Amino acid sequence: MSEELLKVTDLRAGIEGKEILRGINLTIRPGEVHAIMGPNGSGKSTLSGVLAGDPRFTVTGGSASFHGVDLLALSPEDRSHEGLFLSFQYPVEIPGVTMVNFMRAAINAKRKYFNEAPLSAGDFLKMMRQKRAVVELDNKLASRSVNEGFSGGEKKRNEIFQMAVLEPRLSILDETDSGLDIDALRIVAGGVNKLRTEHNATIVITHYQRLLDYIKPDFVHILYKGRIVYSGGPELALELEEKGYDWIKEQVDNQ
Amino acid sequence: MTAAEKNFGQYSALMADFNGQRRVAPLLEKLSQEAAAVLPAAMASYRPDPMGVDAARPDKLFAPDYGVNLMRLGMPVDAASAFKCGVPNLNSLLCVVANDTFHSTTQLERNRMEGLTICSLNNVPAALQSKVYEVLTRSLKNSDPVSALNSLLLNDGVLIHVAAGVKVEKAIQIVNLSNPTVPLLSARRIVVMAEEGSDVKILLCDHSQTDTVEHLNVQLVDVDVAAHAHVELYDIEEATSTTRRCWQLHARQASNSHLSVNTTYLHGGITRNEYHVDVPGDYAHTELSGLAICGGEQVVDNQVTLTHTGKHCTSHQLFKNALFDCSRGGFGGKIVVGEGAVFTDASQTNRNLLAGDDARMTAAPQLEIYCDEVKCSHGATTGQLDERALFYMQTRGIPSEEARRMLTQAFMVDVIDNISFEVLRQRIHMLVEKRLAGAGASCGSCAAGCHTDESAQ
Repeated sequence: MSEELLKVTDLRAGIEGKEILRGINLTIRPGEVHAIMGPNGSGKSTLSGVLAGDPRFTVTGGSASFHGVDLLALSPEDRSHEGLFLSFQYPVEIPGVTMVNFMRAAINAKRKYFNEAPLSAGDFLKMMRQKRAVVELDNKLASRSVNEGFSGGEKKRNEIFQMAVLEPRLSILDETDSGLDIDALRIVAGGVNKLRTEHNATIVITHYQRLLDYIKPDFVHILYKGRIVYSGGPELALELEEKGYDWIKEQVDNQ
Repeated sequence: MTAAEKNFGQYSALMADFNGQRRVAPLLEKLSQEAAAVLPAAMASYRPDPMGVDAARPDKLFAPDYGVNLMRLGMPVDAASAFKCGVPNLNSLLCVVANDTFHSTTQLERNRMEGLTICSLNNVPAALQSKVYEVLTRSLKNSDPVSALNSLLLNDGVLIHVAAGVKVEKAIQIVNLSNPTVPLLSARRIVVMAEEGSDVKILLCDHSQTDTVEHLNVQLVDVDVAAHAHVELYDIEEATSTTRRCWQLHARQASNSHLSVNTTYLHGGITRNEYHVDVPGDYAHTELSGLAICGGEQVVDNQVTLTHTGKHCTSHQLFKNALFDCSRGGFGGKIVVGEGAVFTDASQTNRNLLAGDDARMTAAPQLEIYCDEVKCSHGATTGQLDERALFYMQTRGIPSEEARRMLTQAFMVDVIDNISFEVLRQRIHMLVEKRLAGAGASCGSCAAGCHTDESAQ
């Protein structure tokens, strides 16, 4: 059995005193793709937010170990430096901060964290060019403000572009398929697949089976009422597509 | 009687005693006497501006007992060597005002050109005397004790006159330096006259060299923009915490003229900027903008009165403040559209960022419209940095502090981008970035660091 990349144990968290995650257990190893599915309000986005360090949520119990580091003790920026990446369901628009300045700040902050000198202007531009190709992101977007005026597809492609630049060990894709037409979905999923290696892992949070046709999961988990109530292989996603969530809800609610 | 009223009375009595014995040109002596005549009525009608920031109100600014330098004693300011800041790559026509006294520079003398007059108000060429005097006395009609006091006490000042059709390529830079050894009130004056079809851009820099002696600079800028003339006026304040600044712009625009005024507050003590712009001409355009970054106990108040009486005029105002620590910001923007001013298109925006827990902002946008066929808009918002943007940046590895700095800079970007003078625009982008890097520092230390920076180059 290979090493554990992420080990979440009995994780509990909430917002404004209301508990949303009620004991999450999840283990992810390098090279794996995990899909987390579940009905609305089950806590999918809370889980991704808590793992990334979203200050809106309060952790009330449990632990999360990220390649041996206590993830929950780190600031969001240090979680990023340690190799965690969250692709936002709704990427934030930042008027006045250009993509170029944003990416330069991100890269150089990471390099500083590892005691490396800032990237030279030439190397930086070369890197941007290479990584943009992963998701066919238009060069014109570089001089624009972060996500401002981007189409839904451009925003999601921009997320995967940033993922390509930061080379995370664990990527959490939060509803990356929402708001995408089929062509954009193919490009985004293609980008994710290009970035897959045996050393990194991906958590795909989604509502629908659709995305999983493009990003093939090794494991599928069903989140309901703040707990992972069912885990299985890729066939579970197909079963959900066919039968919906009601049979799971019934099982859990009758326990 | 308030302390300020008492001081005004003392200054008037002092001037009456001197009775023409000052070493100033007859033009300024005449101005002083005219000011003395209107000052009592102006004082009697003075009402503290209810919407202004308390600490920056004239009755507060004039309360301490400052000395005035009536005998025009030389001050220990070595104008040439003291100033190293400047805007790099800007080959400007530079002159210096040390406390209240005009000094030319070799840079200016070498670049003298036909049709451009830059001189002391004590040396106004005979042909321009009556015109200059008319412009100087305009603010006396406003029943404002501050501008009347400036005229009363004025020892010197700067005249910039651009003859009809003359386009001045280089920027004219006036550096105001304060270095009093005792608490001092300096009356400063700059008169800008752009004749028909002329084009000029002026950069005013305010610096203090003392951070121990309190001093008040009462600075008036009179601008007369003739038909088809184009004037850009930029003002940067980078002073010390013991500086009190009472700055007034009095501008008048003729038909088809263009006036841009931009103020940047990087450092200082307490600052009140008043913009009085009258646009009687038709088809004129006015651009007023300002940004202030305040920390510690700094106070900046921008008060605008823009009066449109001409037809088909456009105006645009954009003022932004980033307030850290327990600093105070103020904005009052009044647009008056007179009866005949049909097809006026005026907009006004004020946005403020409260970045400190104890920072406070007072905003009072106002429109007074006496005409039907106009388009006027105004908006004021005060808020904090976008927490979602902050978190988003952090998830990409950008440390919280740096993310805040980048977002604050981004907040200011449109005011800076408004500056059409490119070298200066780049310079202000850089100064703001540097200023924000040290925003938490005490206001006494110069975080912009441009002095040391330039001397190192």
